[in-house]
Amino acid sequence: MNLSRPDRVARLDALAASYALGTLPGRARARLARIARTDTVVRSTIRAWEERLAPFADIAPPINPSPQVWRRIALRLGLDATRRVDRGPWWARVGFWRGFAVTSFVAALGLALALTQLAPTAEPIVVVLAGQDQQPALVATMERDSRTLTVKVVGGAPVPADRSLELWMLPQGAAPRSLGLVPSTGIGRLTLAEPPDVALANVPSLAVSLEQRGGSPTGAPQGPVLYTGRVEKLY
Amino acid sequence: MTAADRGARVTALLSRVAMGDQNAFAEFYDLTASHLYGVAVRILKDAAAAEEILQEAYVNVWHHAGSYEVAKSQPMTWLTSIVRNRCLDQLRRREVDTVTLTSDDDDAPEYDISDDAMTPAEMLLAGAEARSVRDCVDALDAGPKQAIALAFYHGLSHSELASHMRQPLGTVKSWVRRALERLKDCLERAGMGR
Repeated sequence: MNLSRPDRVARLDALAASYALGTLPGRARARLARIARTDTVVRSTIRAWEERLAPFADIAPPINPSPQVWRRIALRLGLDATRRVDRGPWWARVGFWRGFAVTSFVAALGLALALTQLAPTAEPIVVVLAGQDQQPALVATMERDSRTLTVKVVGGAPVPADRSLELWMLPQGAAPRSLGLVPSTGIGRLTLAEPPDVALANVPSLAVSLEQRGGSPTGAPQGPVLYTGRVEKLY
Repeated sequence: MTAADRGARVTALLSRVAMGDQNAFAEFYDLTASHLYGVAVRILKDAAAAEEILQEAYVNVWHHAGSYEVAKSQPMTWLTSIVRNRCLDQLRRREVDTVTLTSDDDDAPEYDISDDAMTPAEMLLAGAEARSVRDCVDALDAGPKQAIALAFYHGLSHSELASHMRQPLGTVKSWVRRALERLKDCLERAGMGR
């Protein structure tokens, strides 16, 4: 490449930004990391971006790891695991929540992950369903080794007594398929006909419509779609 | 405890950890683990993998606390970056392993840095200490803001962002690029104002 020097500086800066943010694709990422090991300019450009983006991480809600983690670390290092002083979670102390400003979407997803953490070996599929206002209304989680879909209501408008919320899969190039009714508050559980990986193989998103009490009689959504969410397949 | 207080405490603990102080290491773990775990599990969506990365990170801290350079970065930034980068490496490696990269591979670094060394004076550290990032983030438009938040917290790639946000890939890429540029400009202005 025959770029002039200022262009190269700008290009390096853009690459470092993309690396620090995480959007740099796999090969490019590996390559830049390799160069950074020996090139101090590249390394410090990346570090500058990590510093710039650091406050994002500061404001994200913490999630407690299982107590096993500390025990395993102590075991590996030959330390006395009982030394750990339990001072209560630091994030519960005054001050941390000051200036807390993370988007509710992120918070809801973090919450969903915290809930699904109970099964430590699973890789849950998490779908956050939100309305037009982008505020999360429901969080659907599926353990990959189970056919249970758990829906937790985290927001959204109240449901009139003569109406029901119905959850739909929206398969690519095919008509919506009902997964069943979801509660208007609290937590509901639905059973999938197939394991989530199979059931959602061709399903990029889920939606919730407002139907007559008991659900759509026709097998297709009749009422307005209130919430939609992408099926994240990031595993 | 504010982020700054925590940073100061972590720095103090690290220097004791470097000398093999087990109590300091335990307190350091208490102070940082749920923060780092939150970062990891959001990106990986996998509790077991996130715990694995956390363990490696703490084992490394125990062995290499002495090599942490206080002057060069905030300790929490240093730790968070280690954890985030390992998670992202894992995520992006999986993609390379399982997917033939096509549309999203066009911003691979084409220029060879090694044949054009820059002087330290050109290092881009001007905005590094700025902490007005929140104001600068607030100033971004909704789409770009959401795009970089999703990428940062959940490790979404450009193509995942595009499908998640139902936008063309090109739109999302330019949102991310512009948002980062604006963020940097804003932070540098804020930094100069001090």
